[in-house]
Amino acid sequence: MTPKRVLVTGVSNPLGAEVARRLSPQVPYLFGCDIADPISALEGMDFVHADTRLSVIGKLIRQLKIDTLVHLAVLIDSPHDSRSVHETNVIGTMNVLVGCAAPSSAVRRLVVKSSQAVYGAGPNDPSFFSEDMVNFDKVASGLTRDLLEMEQLVSEYTLRNESCDPTVLRLGLRVSEGTSLARYLSLPIVPTFAGFDPRLQLMHEDDAVEAIVRATMGHHPGVFNVAGDGVVLLSQAIGVMGGSPAPILPPYGRWLARLALRMFAGIDLPAHLADIMAFGSVMDCSRLESSFAWKPSYSSRQAMDALAVGKQIELIEAPSPPQEYELQVYLQQRRRRERHLSPSGAARHLPINGEEFQKN
Amino acid sequence: MAPPPQGFRLPKPIRRLQRQAPIYALQTLSGLSTRLRDITGREVLDMNRIMEVVQFVYQQRELARRGANYAVDDFGFDAQWTESFITVFKSLYRDYWRVETVGVEHVPPTGRALLVANHAGVLPWDGTMIKTAVYTEHSHPRHVRALVASQFMGMPVMSWFLRRTGQAVGHPDDTRRLLERDELVLVFPEGTRGTGKSFRDRYRLRRFGRGGFVATAIRARAPIIPVSVVGSEEIYPMVGDLRPVARLLGLPYFPVTPFWPWLGPLGMIPLPSKWRIQFHAPIDVSDLSFKDADDQHQVMALADEVRDTIQRGIYDNLKLRRGVFL
Repeated sequence: MTPKRVLVTGVSNPLGAEVARRLSPQVPYLFGCDIADPISALEGMDFVHADTRLSVIGKLIRQLKIDTLVHLAVLIDSPHDSRSVHETNVIGTMNVLVGCAAPSSAVRRLVVKSSQAVYGAGPNDPSFFSEDMVNFDKVASGLTRDLLEMEQLVSEYTLRNESCDPTVLRLGLRVSEGTSLARYLSLPIVPTFAGFDPRLQLMHEDDAVEAIVRATMGHHPGVFNVAGDGVVLLSQAIGVMGGSPAPILPPYGRWLARLALRMFAGIDLPAHLADIMAFGSVMDCSRLESSFAWKPSYSSRQAMDALAVGKQIELIEAPSPPQEYELQVYLQQRRRRERHLSPSGAARHLPINGEEFQKN
Repeated sequence: MAPPPQGFRLPKPIRRLQRQAPIYALQTLSGLSTRLRDITGREVLDMNRIMEVVQFVYQQRELARRGANYAVDDFGFDAQWTESFITVFKSLYRDYWRVETVGVEHVPPTGRALLVANHAGVLPWDGTMIKTAVYTEHSHPRHVRALVASQFMGMPVMSWFLRRTGQAVGHPDDTRRLLERDELVLVFPEGTRGTGKSFRDRYRLRRFGRGGFVATAIRARAPIIPVSVVGSEEIYPMVGDLRPVARLLGLPYFPVTPFWPWLGPLGMIPLPSKWRIQFHAPIDVSDLSFKDADDQHQVMALADEVRDTIQRGIYDNLKLRRGVFL
């Protein structure tokens, strides 16, 4: 089956936008939805304002006759409070799955974004996590618990639906501009947990996009760890960024250290990252390599080097989001008008467009 | 290295003296050493030892200059860094505990093998000494990768030191992965039951878990090499165990020895007992199949065989030792 009608949820975050950009020349019909305005204008994509936290998303999936769904509306590294993260990750995924499971739904392929955070990090963990090491009964909190719950929902869905085999991608820690890990590592003096120098496994943004696109275009059912080769020690990563580590955070009571970081360094280190900064987390990605016949092009060290190089390049001011959005709306309207006018466009006429969807 | 500030520079003769100082110092010491040897008729100042110390200092300086430009393996093992510490462990091995090692030729020069040893002495010094023995006495120096209890991985300093010197977590998955990379893996099946036993029970092996190490060795087709260590029991004669304190600190046991905790950090200095390490002939498991790894009877029989070999080796070596500190 080649994907024909593809919906990307969470298309307004940088990862979703890049995935949509890569998918648009490859698929005939591409739709994107998010609650926020899109960050880039795409000629080949129809954007819909829709919230996965509401059951209306199911109706959207059915009425647009989506056959391939790329669920990226999963908050991994966001400044939102834990409540809305839970709502988006668990309730949002549930709504999406309900939409996919409906008898009238045409969804045959589902790609779900998950994260390395699903494994948690602790002293009792083995040196490498393989895909079946997730313990759903584990006492977990925060993001780890939400992701565990989310993946449980996906696996229940897999058991009940033989027509659709979802692909779950557990993406490794990404160091691109703006992630909280990158901001933490870029500090001139990085406070670290005293007496700990964990192994980190990192991943470049391009590889994350590539993995999602490959999972969408190919048939790879199952759960996959996706991360770069090799490991980088925390002290090495800080050295690459040109900072110096300061082992001053107390290793016990990590919430206290996180509070201090927020107050004095202005950095919000999420709980799952704080655990990784003490105990490290490394995944075994051999399943990805054998099933996709592809592996991330950046190793952990190269991803770190890429971030360090990016730090030196001066940022060019991008056009502000509202302008972008206006451009997007204009392009969309123009496309719609063209479709109504031209006789050949009638064949490509969508069964439902934005306005009709709002009415329903 | 950063160039010195331009404004102020020491006069040239002083700078030259600074550069030459280590060489002058060594020349003086070697002269003194020769004089003392002539006067007393025996080696008082051993120049080889002094050179080792100097070498260690220079190595550390070189390592500090690497910055972030070094590679660790996926387990976090930094071979170059570990080798620089061999000097320290070698002097403990040779001068402090005067370890006598026999049967090191049983360790294969290449390929995988599982070393199984008895575990004793509150802190895992026996692991470091086995590692040092294989690295310094073997014809092909190899790094032994020991598996440590996960409690240590949760401790500050310990966790990074252990990982950086090549240790991994005592998890069946880690054992399998290390063996599949053709490494020498060292396990202590007794675990903390061995290190935390009281002085009264010295040299009596504890239960060998559920024989998980045997099953892993069969699956990885790695020969099992039993290792008997004598001397590790006396480094910290543990006379008591403060359970409530241990529970409070999250430790497997809280030892009380004649010196700890009464003397504070001084109590952590191990006693200079006389050590012997014996590597036994390897037990070949390559003719066993995966099915045997799941056969609990077969696994326990092999685990008992290994345990008996180690226990017998301990008694033999105790007889060969003239006294605890001799």
